[in-house]
Amino acid sequence: MSASAEPQAAPRHSLPEGGPAHGPAAFLALLLGVLGSSMSRYIARRVGWGIFLLFVVSALTFLIFYVFPSADPAALRAGRQANPQLIAQIRHALGLDDPLYEQYWIYLKGIFLHFNLGYSYQNNVSVTSQILTRLPVTISLTVGAFVVWIAIGIPLGILSAIRRHSTVDRSTMGLALLAISAPVYWLGLIVLLLFADDIGKVHLLPGAGSYVPITHDPTQWFLSLLMPWFVLAASFAAIYARMVRGNLIEVMGEDYIRTARAKGLSERRVILRHGVRAAITPVVTLAGLDLGILLGGAVLTETVFNIPGIGRYAYDSIVNSDLPAIQGTVLFGAFFIIVMNIVVDVLYAFLDPRVRY
Amino acid sequence: MKTFRPRDGRVGVGMGAAALLSLAVLAAGCGSSSSSTAEGTSTPSNISTAPPPTPVSCETKGGTLKILSAGDVDHIDPGEAYYSFSYEITRPTQRALLAPKGNSTELEPDLAASMPTVSKDGKTVTVTLKPGVRFSPPVNREVTSADVKYAIERGFATSVANGYAGAYFSVIEGAPKTPPQYPVPISGIETPGPHTIVFHLVRPEAVFVSALSLPLTAPVPEDYAKPFDDQAVSSYGLHQVASGPYMIKNNASGSINGVGYKPGQLIELVRNPNWNASTDRRLACADDVRFQEGYQDPTVMAKTILSGAADANGDTPPPPAELKSILSSSTQSKQLFFTPTGGSRYVALNTSKAPFDNLDVRKAVAYVLDRNAMRLTRGGPVDGAIATHFIDPSFGNQGFDQSGGTSFDPFPSPGFAGDVTKAKELMKAAGYANGMYTGPQVTMVADNTPPGSDTAKVIAADLAKIGIDAKIISVTHSTMYTKYCNVPKNEPNVCPNVGWLPDFHEPQTIIDPTFNGKNILPSNNSNWPLLNDPTLNAAMDRAEKTLDPQTRYEQWGKLDDQVAETAAAVPWLWENFPTLFSSRVVPALMVDNEGAPDVSYMSVK
Repeated sequence: MSASAEPQAAPRHSLPEGGPAHGPAAFLALLLGVLGSSMSRYIARRVGWGIFLLFVVSALTFLIFYVFPSADPAALRAGRQANPQLIAQIRHALGLDDPLYEQYWIYLKGIFLHFNLGYSYQNNVSVTSQILTRLPVTISLTVGAFVVWIAIGIPLGILSAIRRHSTVDRSTMGLALLAISAPVYWLGLIVLLLFADDIGKVHLLPGAGSYVPITHDPTQWFLSLLMPWFVLAASFAAIYARMVRGNLIEVMGEDYIRTARAKGLSERRVILRHGVRAAITPVVTLAGLDLGILLGGAVLTETVFNIPGIGRYAYDSIVNSDLPAIQGTVLFGAFFIIVMNIVVDVLYAFLDPRVRY
Repeated sequence: MKTFRPRDGRVGVGMGAAALLSLAVLAAGCGSSSSSTAEGTSTPSNISTAPPPTPVSCETKGGTLKILSAGDVDHIDPGEAYYSFSYEITRPTQRALLAPKGNSTELEPDLAASMPTVSKDGKTVTVTLKPGVRFSPPVNREVTSADVKYAIERGFATSVANGYAGAYFSVIEGAPKTPPQYPVPISGIETPGPHTIVFHLVRPEAVFVSALSLPLTAPVPEDYAKPFDDQAVSSYGLHQVASGPYMIKNNASGSINGVGYKPGQLIELVRNPNWNASTDRRLACADDVRFQEGYQDPTVMAKTILSGAADANGDTPPPPAELKSILSSSTQSKQLFFTPTGGSRYVALNTSKAPFDNLDVRKAVAYVLDRNAMRLTRGGPVDGAIATHFIDPSFGNQGFDQSGGTSFDPFPSPGFAGDVTKAKELMKAAGYANGMYTGPQVTMVADNTPPGSDTAKVIAADLAKIGIDAKIISVTHSTMYTKYCNVPKNEPNVCPNVGWLPDFHEPQTIIDPTFNGKNILPSNNSNWPLLNDPTLNAAMDRAEKTLDPQTRYEQWGKLDDQVAETAAAVPWLWENFPTLFSSRVVPALMVDNEGAPDVSYMSVK
């Protein structure tokens, strides 16, 4: 994803003086400009495809549950000594004896007309309310971790690139390899056993199951999420550091960087204004997608730290063969990924004028 | 029966190989300290299955108890709850007619003023209720016999879907043959007075009185609950009222959803302000009980309890490595209690199709299985004694002694490691010339997670010793039951991971649902071997009607042996459940409920 060798591909990164104007006013003008332009048509197209994709995801989840071996919700609900009549009646009451297409149609109607994702087979609680209750938890975890991995990954990547082959570079990349190799569930356990205030060797931070909403106690909220943020961010920060390093090394070898230097710009300016801006563009794509995926539920982190987010809800639903909850969480996850994809594509247009729609 | 607490399919994240390793380590460790583990029937000498004494007073009044669990209750509605962990909630909040006496399996009156009286012909059961028992807010009024009648009636409705109403209460005259959508009156339940309830049965039923200890008999106020029950799926559970010392925290309108019940996160019990201590034996020492859910990692759960940040494990035992560490500590080991579950784990062989429709082949399998190796996959001797028949030692003279106790073993082998020679002889008797099976591959549907998946691998390796090639189909634990082993038309040749717990301590609840041919159902079937022996069926039907306890226990003890001799199912573990308490509480547990913590009697020190 380096800037192209074509002269017209580089100006926005390499020659800000000669490039488009900057600032909020310019941004607004650009935004207004694209409305009604080919870009708005592109966005509309992407949104349309996004909705279609959600249909496909929901249909696939539905089919997978029925086609592949999974538990029978009516039998589970009926209990171990229930007679066949009871199971049949429950199947009927839950609409599970309707043709598949009818069940699916009812499900879709519920979503689009009432934003109703159904009711849990296990506890009869609304899946929508469960997801919405848990969404702030997952957002707290994801956004916090995102900030951590961006704040760590990008500077380390830059540092490694500009001090290539130095001790700093080698140790940073070594650590990155370690962080990538450490599975979240393992790292989470280790961190808990070291630093949790209940089971840790050093009683430093609240342990598993300590999450409280920010509205209840902001300090406790912050402290309870510190370990999960760092654990979740570890591998992402490592990947981003490696990516930024690789991109920046490549970009710093480009002609326009040499031109910038030849014009007498300070090395700091060359790196930050010209090098990093070009090197970081692919990171936006990755960051958007990662954020989308995690907003759909950081299953392992939420499970290890007993954080009641969407990821843990998804995990519990799968264990309990609770189809409405499984479908709800899958759809929600897909929704975030699709939305973030669209956001990333649109952002790209602003970041990189070479992108045409 | 209640299902075993979820040790299958709910091991902590990433436990896999580490669990196996630690199991082996623990097994080795415990083996060395065992008095008779070479023979296998005994648990190690450093493990006591004696429960802590039931507290008779509170060490302190007040405070908060915190119980940790991996998952949620199966159903929050006491009329639907049918899972050991769920009973940890129903017991302190609901008063059934009868309840276990302290830390024993013996029953005593709870909501009832005295033990039920049974007519001479065994067909009329009368129960008098205690006066002065009141419902929690928002109902607030006194409990009457009509509330018990409605509680049982609603259990038959599809909207409530109780799992055992049909098994124990369909003997009541007028009980619905086909489940109604919504609760309907049952003519055989009379309420001649506000504190008297009479059950008219169509025939004498030996275990009916014991069944009155099930949470289905806890009162439900019809005037309040009916609108919730008249929905496709009743939402009474989310608006339930309590009759016990605690209630699930609710709001002014009675809803617990998002207040005291956050599915998969928290169940919070607070005091029932209308509870009258003079009517109850429970102590109810703590002010508040928090069941913190979502502790998927058993190591974290155990360490949190040991740290004193929580007080007991609600649904998941400490993992083997933690058990080993706890048992090696003189102080921590005092906080750990092993309770016989009262049930057994066994390998079910499908008797309805070849090759296990042949008695000699089944016997050969019973001989060839290395039950000691199978037990090692679950933790070794610490997990319980190797089973040789189905009625668990905790039944004592209620059927276990009558079946021959630990001395009855129809398929003995040195160290329970299997006897290949004997197995091959039986295969020859079955018509396989070299003692090796030559037929088509057999199917085995097993758990896809340890320890069940490991047990299945051991069984498959053992079957190979007599030439049986078993194809293992790995699925989730609930799929294994609801799609395969519980559905005869889908049933494989072998169900290696099945187990059965009693609903209460009557041997009938161990043998009858699982081996009586009349209980074979097209779905939710629990007679996994599909055993349908007319002689055994008739003997079981006779025992069901035997009201004299000692005669009844004799009959079931004998039936236990006869069933074991069919080798339709090969029992291999009488399981213990370890419950760990924090050092800051006075422990109390439910002996009849897999040793689950009993918050009604626990107190903060």
